[in-house]
Amino acid sequence: MKTAITLNVNGKEYPLEVKANEILLNVLRDRLGLMGTKYGCGIGECGDCTVLLDGKAILSCQSLAFTADGKKITTIEGLEHNGSLHPLQQAFIDEGAVQCGYCTPGMILSAKALLDTKPDPSDQEIKQAIRGNFCRCTGYTNIIRAIKTASEKIKDQGRKQT
Amino acid sequence: MSSTRVISVDFECRIPRKLEEALEALNEEGSQVLAGGTDLLNNIKINAVKPSRLVYVLGIPELEFISVEGGRLIVGAAALLSDIEHNRQVVSRFPALVEAINVIGGTQIRNMATLAGNLCNASPGADTPPILFVLDAEVEICWTNGGTGAQRSRLPVGGFFTGPKKTVLKQGQIVHSVSIPLPPEHSGAAFRRLARVSLDIAKINCAAYIERDGDTVHEARIALGSVAPTPVRAPTIEKALDGRRYGGGLFQEAAELVEEDIAPIDDVRSTAEYRRQIASLLVREALQEAWRRSGGKG
Repeated sequence: MKTAITLNVNGKEYPLEVKANEILLNVLRDRLGLMGTKYGCGIGECGDCTVLLDGKAILSCQSLAFTADGKKITTIEGLEHNGSLHPLQQAFIDEGAVQCGYCTPGMILSAKALLDTKPDPSDQEIKQAIRGNFCRCTGYTNIIRAIKTASEKIKDQGRKQT
Repeated sequence: MSSTRVISVDFECRIPRKLEEALEALNEEGSQVLAGGTDLLNNIKINAVKPSRLVYVLGIPELEFISVEGGRLIVGAAALLSDIEHNRQVVSRFPALVEAINVIGGTQIRNMATLAGNLCNASPGADTPPILFVLDAEVEICWTNGGTGAQRSRLPVGGFFTGPKKTVLKQGQIVHSVSIPLPPEHSGAAFRRLARVSLDIAKINCAAYIERDGDTVHEARIALGSVAPTPVRAPTIEKALDGRRYGGGLFQEAAELVEEDIAPIDDVRSTAEYRRQIASLLVREALQEAWRRSGGKG
């Protein structure tokens, strides 16, 4: 038995028929071709599969696709705007916060959820926000610095616009 | 076949809009509640659970609330851990509950999981039961006999667990809400835990609650997790503190009685020996912090 749902991914609507046991991560990757979201541990420990669901960081490998019906999903592919990278993406490059890159999409989305609610986080708040995202190339110092840099950039952009 | 990439077992889903509908669907054999799914999906992936139908309860308005009424904080079964830990009433009145929730998983898990789910999963080492025990929380259970509306009954959280991964819930019954009396003045509670790394499941955890009368312990409640088949109260320590004046190593002395109240085992996270040795230290720290929060000096 299949259920008709609509996923809104990165601002685009996808009407889909899903089986009850289909995992959101697999729908994003295998059916919508959005390969940015990664499969890591599959048991909710590593954070590689993190996406935003209505703005909140969640684990797509621990979510059944039907529960995301009608919700807004943001994946790493949804961050660039008119061909330019999101300040977080740019800051990860500039600060050398990427080594193997496997944790990066989840890490950036956790950071985005943080900055969307707390534009000026402390180091402690950053650490708390990415506690559920593992980096196994030991890049945490650069990652935290990149998130700080991005937060400053976003604030600067905000000032210029107002 | 077991895989963490795909779910091989087939089941159907129900997405009820009302509690009554959910309860009716749950009366059917093979039905299981799906809330945040953070425990259930893992259990399905490893074939530990094989449901034929999942009834999704997040988004049911009757279960999705956090309120204060009749002198109690009431948390609906569909309230997310992250909503609870950021709720102003909870933050100002139940700091120790916030601490216990805050150590559960990462941000993502707390954006998905529920307090009711943490109870229903019934892990002996779950982080919220000890604090709910000492705050005298009650669990409200609901079910339907068909056509008669939702039936409800309340029981103390201490009576909810019947063994590792086992609760009093029968087929068709779900947790409706968890309620906690608002703490009186001159009271304080604290939570302590030990784990290998911060994201780990606890080796051992504990919570303490103290009602203070001047420099005397009017009432003390202590509970521990991961030291017995279910979370447990520590009645021996509680009795030893009853009506006693603070000072002279009272908390240390009482905390050392913890061995009377616990029966830890060796498992993947720790050993019985380590748990026995460290339990008294955790209890003492929790008591000290609860005393401080109750306004007690020293």
